[in-house]
Amino acid sequence: MSFRNEPILELRRAPVRDSLLEALRGLEARLPLEAPVLVGGERGSASGLHSTDPGAPERLVARAGSATEADASAAVEAAQRGFRDWGARPAAERAEILRGAAAILRERRLELAALQVRECAKPWPEADGDVCEAIDFLEYYALEALNLDAGRELVQAPGERNTMRYAPRGVAAVIAPWNFPLAIPCGMTAAALAAGNAAVLKPAEQSPASAGALVDALHEAGVPRNALSLLPGYGEAGAALVRDPGVHVIAFTGSSAVGLEIVRAAAETPEGQGHVKRVVSEMGGKNCVIVDADADLDEVVPELIYSAFGYAGQKCSAAARALVHEAAADTLLERLTGAVRVLDVGQADRFATEVPPVIEREAQERVRRYAAMAEPIAQVESLPDGGWFCAPTLVADLPDDSPVLSDEIFGPLLALTRVKSVDEACDIVDALPFALTGGLFSRSPATVERMAARLPVGNLYVNRGITGAMVGRQPFGGNRRSGIGSKAGGPDYLLQFVEPRVVTENTMRHGIQVD
Amino acid sequence: MQLASHDAELRAALFRFVDVTPACRSLDDLATHLTGYLEEVDERPPPIEAAMRMSGTKAGRAALGAAAAAGVRHMAHRFIVGETPRAALKTIRHLWENGAAVSLDLLGEATVTEAEADRYAARCLDALETLAEAAGSWPERPVLETDSLGRLPRVNLSVKVSALTPLLRPEAPDVGREDAAHRMRPLLLRARELGAHLHIDMESVDTIEATLGLVFELLDEPELREGPSAGVVMQAYLRESPDQLQRVIDWASATAREQPIVVRLVKGAYWDHEVVDARQHGWTPPVFEDKRESDRNFEALTRLLLEAWPHVRPAIASHNLRSVAHALAAARELGREDRDIEFQVLRGLGDDLAAALADLGQRVRIYCPVGDMVAGMAYLVRRLLENTSNESFLGEQQRGTPIEQLLAAP
Repeated sequence: MSFRNEPILELRRAPVRDSLLEALRGLEARLPLEAPVLVGGERGSASGLHSTDPGAPERLVARAGSATEADASAAVEAAQRGFRDWGARPAAERAEILRGAAAILRERRLELAALQVRECAKPWPEADGDVCEAIDFLEYYALEALNLDAGRELVQAPGERNTMRYAPRGVAAVIAPWNFPLAIPCGMTAAALAAGNAAVLKPAEQSPASAGALVDALHEAGVPRNALSLLPGYGEAGAALVRDPGVHVIAFTGSSAVGLEIVRAAAETPEGQGHVKRVVSEMGGKNCVIVDADADLDEVVPELIYSAFGYAGQKCSAAARALVHEAAADTLLERLTGAVRVLDVGQADRFATEVPPVIEREAQERVRRYAAMAEPIAQVESLPDGGWFCAPTLVADLPDDSPVLSDEIFGPLLALTRVKSVDEACDIVDALPFALTGGLFSRSPATVERMAARLPVGNLYVNRGITGAMVGRQPFGGNRRSGIGSKAGGPDYLLQFVEPRVVTENTMRHGIQVD
Repeated sequence: MQLASHDAELRAALFRFVDVTPACRSLDDLATHLTGYLEEVDERPPPIEAAMRMSGTKAGRAALGAAAAAGVRHMAHRFIVGETPRAALKTIRHLWENGAAVSLDLLGEATVTEAEADRYAARCLDALETLAEAAGSWPERPVLETDSLGRLPRVNLSVKVSALTPLLRPEAPDVGREDAAHRMRPLLLRARELGAHLHIDMESVDTIEATLGLVFELLDEPELREGPSAGVVMQAYLRESPDQLQRVIDWASATAREQPIVVRLVKGAYWDHEVVDARQHGWTPPVFEDKRESDRNFEALTRLLLEAWPHVRPAIASHNLRSVAHALAAARELGREDRDIEFQVLRGLGDDLAAALADLGQRVRIYCPVGDMVAGMAYLVRRLLENTSNESFLGEQQRGTPIEQLLAAP
């Protein structure tokens, strides 16, 4: 068996686009959906949280439960019971169930993409890509879990047998963001389950319905109800999970502030907690794209524009800064200006839309606050009515101490800075606390090699856009304060969810020589 | 170029160098890039080793940079007829006098802004005006300017939809089509006034829906019914090309336009792009992966085109002697006059074939790129890729593959 990425839809074909629009109509007939609290198979409340369409906030996408601290506690208890069954099953059986869940998502991919269009204002290509990534995570971790199950080779000496195996840790709390509403919760949950843990998923309050669809698929495929609970709701349920002494692993993707708080809280070892919690924390970035003088600007402009403004800049991998060699800066600035002006800002359900609304009012206000700190070089002037739209904005030549250059804004705002050399650009990147993604446009092999060795980022993209990491091809995650380096979708990821056990057996008295 | 064909790595290194040449700021910079690419080649032939040793000193790099730049310019001159339409007039007239018509193609950077699209449209207008003004004084060449349906324009310009709009996107073809249409319409109107032919090129699969939609919609507009003469391109390497051609023929049979549309049949120049793009996304490549399938399809489409005359005017654009001979034989078999089929070749690649066809009394048109070095590079590299791919006809011929084998039925 080998892993192969789920092919994205060929949206350049009109019938494929029509099929998505049809799926959207089908979904709309069923709105609002329900995303109740699900604890150990018990269907809890589906009220207290409204999931709305960022493009039309009056449109209710789902009525969701708002999980309480008591729900969190009950979910962890259920997970402890569920773990005894699930964790004891053969890895191959668990892998087969995860692959079954992948098949269910594949079968529902059109309506799941449509749901993201409505719930998170993800434009079609991005929504489809997210569903494919979720499928990839299930398939990939299912295979990786089998590899891990085989254990590792150790040095063997005469008269002893050494084996190293990996055992699941126990209960995993998964705290997921809204920006990849299916893929990221799916990745973290699938990894926990594939490795044999039970999981409690707390999705972002902005995307409970997508998370509900994920949990439904996993349950339908055969994950025991008490091995996977769903806690839609606000922050308190997540905070309660993090504190719960019954939780062994916390897998988090989201903002730096919350991520660091989780790291701190998880370090507590209260009386009665018989283990140290492992934290997987993937946080923010301030991602820079370096453009050398020899870059092909025909290539730079579309790739940089998409990296900065695709999904309104709401990807942790999105480009926030362009560090451009002074010899190319004037030309690039002029071309970027023109390219920003023709960006199509619109509703996510239009295939033409490049920049959809941002997720919520607070996000809109934040982006506008930062945009107001600088004189825009280029800005899309007319925005659609309704929805949390932000004007895509290009700024340049800001003073070094501008917060626009250091804070993660998470919106459609790109800042260009001139540099005298790529090495100066490298110094700028090096001085940032973040190290998630980075880009380099250069046609010199020597420059590419030198920069790849110097740049601290977790994912460096050379002569292409800096978003869109693919499972198995671009294991994804940041370094420094962007993350712990666990690399989702890569060969090391499952190690976060297991504990290694080494057995050394004396074979001297077995009567036959063991080699 | 023969050297390059033998070694894929070396070829890649030279392409990368050609590609970066316009962005290099000095001879030193050129030499540094060149040696950077050559270092990645495992087995370097002695002349290349010698070149790399030169890069050890500043003077050596200057000399190497100058030599390499001259080499690239020399190559570019083989493919590009001039920096501007005006500068190309002398060559174009010379070709005309020697029995070959021309379709001019304006090279340029990718269009990513409205201003760039406007500039390209203005360059197209200027090219039409410049050519029309000059063409009046060209001598009579009946083979090149008439077929049995009537007169053929002397002035012929090829335009790219992707250059006429920054909004061309595969998942939203309508947006790009509409934006390109408002720049294409004035070009068509002016071409009609000048009696010129406007040919809409075909590019990658991502742009086909917008391009065909644009052609069908614009050319059917009442004010464009009487002209100008216009054309589209069909790419035989596409698996879906038979359906596409049928769509074009159906449209051409139904349209109220006075002049039949010219259909240029090509093999297709984006093969590597299409295959890599599809493979990266996990799709079946939209192109035939076995060259013989493309060749067979080329012949099938040739026949379809010939049968569709007089609703369409067929233009066979191939350097493959077998494809060309097949088209001519098929036309004669169908009882067409020789002047009712046109042959087209690329400047720099099909010049000998053009001369031979002209000698036979056939109408031949040479696709001539115009533009500066920077703009020409992407084009050049694409042509080079096509020309040095192991399966290309010209490459085979240069390597001395027996003519019987080259002409065998695909």
